[in-house]
Amino acid sequence: MSRIKTCVSLYSLQDEYLNHRMNLEDIMRFVKEKGAEGVEILPDQMLKGAPDISEETVQLWNKMIEETGLTPVIADVFLNTNLYKNRTLTHRECIDLLIKEIKQANRLGIHLIRFVSMVPYWVIEPLLPYCEKYDVTVALEVHAAMAFDIPETKAFIEEMKRVNSPYVGLVIDTGIFCRKFPRVVRAYETNNGTSSQVFDYIDTLFEKGTDLHHVLVENNYQYPPELEAAIQSEHDRMFVPLCDGYENYPFEALDEYMPYIKHFHFKLFEMTPDGEYSMDYKGLLQYLHDHDYDGYVATEYEGNRFTLPGHPMQEKQQVEAQLSYIRKCLKEIQG
Amino acid sequence: MFDNNVFKENTCINVSENGQITGFELQTNITYYRGIPMSMIEYIRVAVDGVEVPSESIRISVDQQDWFTLKEAETVTTYKWEYGEPLYIRVMQEGGLSKGHHKVRLTVATRTAYIPVPLEGIKERDVVIE
Repeated sequence: MSRIKTCVSLYSLQDEYLNHRMNLEDIMRFVKEKGAEGVEILPDQMLKGAPDISEETVQLWNKMIEETGLTPVIADVFLNTNLYKNRTLTHRECIDLLIKEIKQANRLGIHLIRFVSMVPYWVIEPLLPYCEKYDVTVALEVHAAMAFDIPETKAFIEEMKRVNSPYVGLVIDTGIFCRKFPRVVRAYETNNGTSSQVFDYIDTLFEKGTDLHHVLVENNYQYPPELEAAIQSEHDRMFVPLCDGYENYPFEALDEYMPYIKHFHFKLFEMTPDGEYSMDYKGLLQYLHDHDYDGYVATEYEGNRFTLPGHPMQEKQQVEAQLSYIRKCLKEIQG
Repeated sequence: MFDNNVFKENTCINVSENGQITGFELQTNITYYRGIPMSMIEYIRVAVDGVEVPSESIRISVDQQDWFTLKEAETVTTYKWEYGEPLYIRVMQEGGLSKGHHKVRLTVATRTAYIPVPLEGIKERDVVIE
């Protein structure tokens, strides 16, 4: 039996927070009010001094968790390998930073952390004793453009399978399941001067069931003639590499990884009356149900950064619309 | 990306010490979606009416107490530039900005955890010094 639960990543409400329209307490109350069961936080975004947060911050967090009844599901963790301008951090420095993150999660009552894509595989083994001691699982994010075909992700997965611990896994970002290129990205970048021919070309790839990332990989990162023909300017040429972060994997790509998947980011560019514009959430939820997924699917709104100048931010409306759509799908699927 | 975070509106003012105008100051939000130690600021550039100020004349602070040159900030890891809090930028320039209208352009770039190129944001504002 599947047990699919709703969650909101506070990443979704970052503009509300940045511009002080809502503080963390307002945001937590909002998430609860809209019916989510769990909450996901980026400590570096909304907790001062992270990962060295004060006892006062921990108490405030506990109070908010208690008042809202939300489950603190997961903390999104980054690794500042480029902390210094003149060198990359050593292995020991990287591991020490991640140990701090594990201890911080424990202080916040969180049992899962997401490593941002590209976190190296060799952190896993030295971290395992800390994961066990603090009861915190670490999971690498599989994100479009940095997914299953990328050497760093492959190496992490290989090591994850080798250590075979319940404390190591994966987080899947649904941006790998785009069936159409997001039109909010097209509108935003058109406004910045990208030519329509570039987007028309990318649309033809999605129509054929593929995407720019896979076409570039298959061509050894050489641009196919059709793409060269679509590029009209230097601006277009600069922009094209930013278009590979929308991939078109079949859901079955998850088959072999299901036992390791701890969490999902339900990436959201734009809710329409019929669901998300680029991604088939209902199809994916049905797949997860059929594969007995027991975990959270977290709203991760990213249309905020593609809001056209002069247009109002739609973070709250989009989060609410997605939660309500997911609940409706789950009711149909899970009963 | 993140251009909208750069150069908070109505923050550009002259600063005085002991009755003398020693430069001008402006504030910016971070060109990233999370807070980072100051050492991860890749560069800050300020141009006034199309002329870039020398990098050595720039000082930055997250608390308006302790100020660092850009070179010094490269090793500052215990002061964090928080998401949602401004970075204060001062340009040490005797007399500050002259009275009247100026076009002030601010460029901010931060290094990020996994994106190979720094995330840069640029914003030019019309500034009036009265």
